[in-house]
Amino acid sequence: MRNLLGGGYRGRIYPVNLRAESILGLPAYRSVKEVPHDVDLAVVAVPAASVLEVARQCGRKGVKFLVVISAGFREIGGEGSRREKELVSICREFNMGLVGPNCLGIIDTHTPLNATFAPQMPQDGKIAFFSQSGALGVAILDWSLTTGIGFSRFVSLGNKAGLDEVDFIQDAAQDPYTEVILCYLEGIADGRRFLEVAREVTRQKPVIVIKAGASEAGARAASSHTGSLAGSEVAYTAAFRQGGIFRAYSTEELFDLALAFSTQPLPRANRVAVLTNAGGPGILATDAAERQGLAVARLSKETVEELRKNLPPEASLYNPVDVLGDAPPERYAVALEKLGNDPHIDSLLALLTPQAGIPATQIAHLVADYHQEKRGKPLVAAFMGGEAVREAVSVLKNRGIPCYPTPERAVAALAALARYAMVRQKSAVKARECPTPNPAARDKAEEIFQQVRQDRRAVLLGSEAVAVAEAFGIPCARTRLARSPEEAVAIAREIGFPVALKIASPHIVHKTDIGGVRLGLSSAEEVRRAYVEIVESVQRFFSQADIYGVEVQQMMPPGTELIIGITRDTQFGPLLMFGLGGVYVDLLKDVAFRLTYGLSRDDVLEMIRETKAYTLLRGYRGQPPRDMESLAEVLCRVARLAEELPGLVEMDINPVLAYEQGLAALDVKMTIA
Amino acid sequence: VAKVRNVYVIGPSGSGKTALCAALALELKEAGYKVAYFKPVGAGGDTPDEDAVLLRELLGMELPVEKIVPFNSSAFYLWRYEPPGTFVDRVKEAYEAVAEGADVVVIGGAPSPYHLASLGLDAIGIAQLFKPLVLTVHRVFNDLSIDVAIFYQEYLRTHQVAVQGAILNHVPRTLLDKARDVYRRVLEDRGYRVLGIIPQRPEIALPTVREFAEVLDAEVLAGEESVNRVVEDIVVGAMTLESAMRYFRRVPNKAVITGGDRADLALAALETNTSALVLTGGLYPEGRVLSQAEEKGVPVLLTNYDTYAAVEQLRLITRKIRPGDQRSLQLVRENFREYCAYRDILEAIKD
Repeated sequence: MRNLLGGGYRGRIYPVNLRAESILGLPAYRSVKEVPHDVDLAVVAVPAASVLEVARQCGRKGVKFLVVISAGFREIGGEGSRREKELVSICREFNMGLVGPNCLGIIDTHTPLNATFAPQMPQDGKIAFFSQSGALGVAILDWSLTTGIGFSRFVSLGNKAGLDEVDFIQDAAQDPYTEVILCYLEGIADGRRFLEVAREVTRQKPVIVIKAGASEAGARAASSHTGSLAGSEVAYTAAFRQGGIFRAYSTEELFDLALAFSTQPLPRANRVAVLTNAGGPGILATDAAERQGLAVARLSKETVEELRKNLPPEASLYNPVDVLGDAPPERYAVALEKLGNDPHIDSLLALLTPQAGIPATQIAHLVADYHQEKRGKPLVAAFMGGEAVREAVSVLKNRGIPCYPTPERAVAALAALARYAMVRQKSAVKARECPTPNPAARDKAEEIFQQVRQDRRAVLLGSEAVAVAEAFGIPCARTRLARSPEEAVAIAREIGFPVALKIASPHIVHKTDIGGVRLGLSSAEEVRRAYVEIVESVQRFFSQADIYGVEVQQMMPPGTELIIGITRDTQFGPLLMFGLGGVYVDLLKDVAFRLTYGLSRDDVLEMIRETKAYTLLRGYRGQPPRDMESLAEVLCRVARLAEELPGLVEMDINPVLAYEQGLAALDVKMTIA
Repeated sequence: VAKVRNVYVIGPSGSGKTALCAALALELKEAGYKVAYFKPVGAGGDTPDEDAVLLRELLGMELPVEKIVPFNSSAFYLWRYEPPGTFVDRVKEAYEAVAEGADVVVIGGAPSPYHLASLGLDAIGIAQLFKPLVLTVHRVFNDLSIDVAIFYQEYLRTHQVAVQGAILNHVPRTLLDKARDVYRRVLEDRGYRVLGIIPQRPEIALPTVREFAEVLDAEVLAGEESVNRVVEDIVVGAMTLESAMRYFRRVPNKAVITGGDRADLALAALETNTSALVLTGGLYPEGRVLSQAEEKGVPVLLTNYDTYAAVEQLRLITRKIRPGDQRSLQLVRENFREYCAYRDILEAIKD
């Protein structure tokens, strides 16, 4: 109540309490029912056992939103879990939006409304912040008061039984006071909806997420804390990338980026100019820029000429531009102006080290003046030092120039701006869709899956997996199951010699090691003999193995060995993998991942380019280039296959052989649920 | 007084004798015969012979189990050795009581045909005593299983036992075609009849979560309503989270055994087809894990055994059809009708 009143809320507040006559000078009501007017929002902070009754009363009263602070729900298991379910169904029945339970409340600085335990209302600003950890959120709000960072709204998400991060992100996108969206998340409730909304929202506003539980031990801690299974790290990384979301790995980074996004315009491209008064920090900034994917701009001839005219001869005129340790404010001003005018430069970084007698504060003002006038290009500063630059730093902050204590952090902020500019440009172009597969393909696959389930297996035989892949138009080496030597011969005749024979047993992973594979068989007699020998050899190694027979496969000419795979993430659905294939996959780990949900052909091309395999495919050291178009097509088809078949949980094609024309899947593995 | 007919079912341990006896007895009963069950050599120790308990109930017999099973064998039964005749007389006497008023007596074989040979009560001895119609039943693992079947037939025939034929049981799907084409031919070429080729049905006589709870001395923390779910397999959760999903997804209807502190693995298991979550070491799980289990309707068992000891303990659960397991009985009867020459067998008994 004190926070609500202290926060300056301009609407009416009705305290409801069984015992009190009045609270902080406002008359208290014994129940929501007795409140004389309509109520928009109810903040519920009663013991868990009474929450359901209070929620029902609010529902009948026509309350639109509930913020349930009380704990004692899903997080405690058993009874709490049932209580939460009931709470959700009450809110659904009366059509009330639910925040929490087990949360620390909400803040809106523009209304203004402070329905939290945060001791002080944060400064108003353009940052919306949603936190799955209420305590962390409140701590950050308190800290923000010392840094001058302002917020438009803050929500402690709690158990996310009703409204979750996706709802709030979606809403913040529409909020005129919000320019940047920040989230602290331990898990995502509905991965696919998250991805969908992220794609939309990041076209308009940057979203920065810090996702806790990135390490194995961290993930364990997060799942025991939230009770939801953490999706895999690769899936989160892919989701953030595909959704255009920035991922921060520390709270520091989260706010470094937020500061830049909330104050600076977006650059056109990634070319940065560094202005410094000392060589060392300039070089560090240059290194950092290259690491972060920024280009250190080559200045135009005109700019260099202008600088030469205006700077002392000892100054360095090429990027980074060093105006020397004794630089008076005017030198900074003129250099900034010239750099700002150069069309080859997209963003600016102003560095300063406190050398003897330098008027840091005055320079800070000049930098801010320049930016205020021009505003075209993003500008961040790194004024290094402590005591000597304290005043200057606070001038920059107050005048809306992000200032960081190190060049690396400043560069990281500019790099994020540039990356986001690219996200925006990319989303403006309509992506080419992956083609929709023929509906008969799914029926065919489901039919095969059904047979496998009847057999009480989860792993498909090679011949079955090939049949599914072929139904979706994925080119495979012809593969059929033979259950006797004679059948093998008949199939070999049909496919055409030479053929390969492989043991058909879902339990055996490394077939070659146990004499389960014979290659290049070119006569009926060889096939017959190989069949018998394979079965006998495998029996010797694995007396318990279920042997379904032997697969007869068309022999393929050598090509570039690639791997294409699918795993199903619990939060985000199928994850497509692509990389260099063959037996060294685990060693080389040259793989890229994308979520298949909404995956476009352009995403697929980008994915291919991310790998070393790409260099190889373009034709490495005299090799002819491979059929990139067909590869992209096959990756699209695999992605669609995974989307169409919810029963498929894992798929591995290793190797896929890429040729100058066309591709062929040689070994297809599938696991179904 | 009409002649009592005897059918004797023998086979190696684990070949499915009990299931066949049950199916046969129920079929005969339905055909209007008065059927009794007799098991001359039981496997019982401290507890009564489980086969006799089951058949007694199915047939509504009034005799107590110890009258149906006159002798219990053990691996050290020879401390009780007496000259052969005594035991034979005792078995005969018990048989008279069982056969009283019956049209057909189904005689269940001992765990193996050679049990109690020293007392003259092995399969040959029993067959010579009661002149039954003999059916042999064999679990098929591979080609060698057929050699075992042939060996049985030849031995019985040498001793002038009226062996009716062999039933190939639990035939894995991978060997079904081979059994029908090759195994049958091999047996018939030697003059033996194949009376049935029954495919493997892993769902028969699976243990339930309740049995897991009993043998683990476990407390059921959630999902109480699902304790009758069957468990097909066990997966020990001791891997990293990333690899866990791979294993969990491949095994349906499993019990996952893991420490109570591994919330990540417990939750991963709940995302897949899991019959029960067994938490070991007496470590009480996070409330949210229980919430999730509750939502998914998966029983959570908390045991004080550590993971290794729990797995050892679970070995005690055997696959036996228990009285009241209607589902398994139904399957067993279906198998008998569908995959065995059951009319021929009934005809042979009638003659």
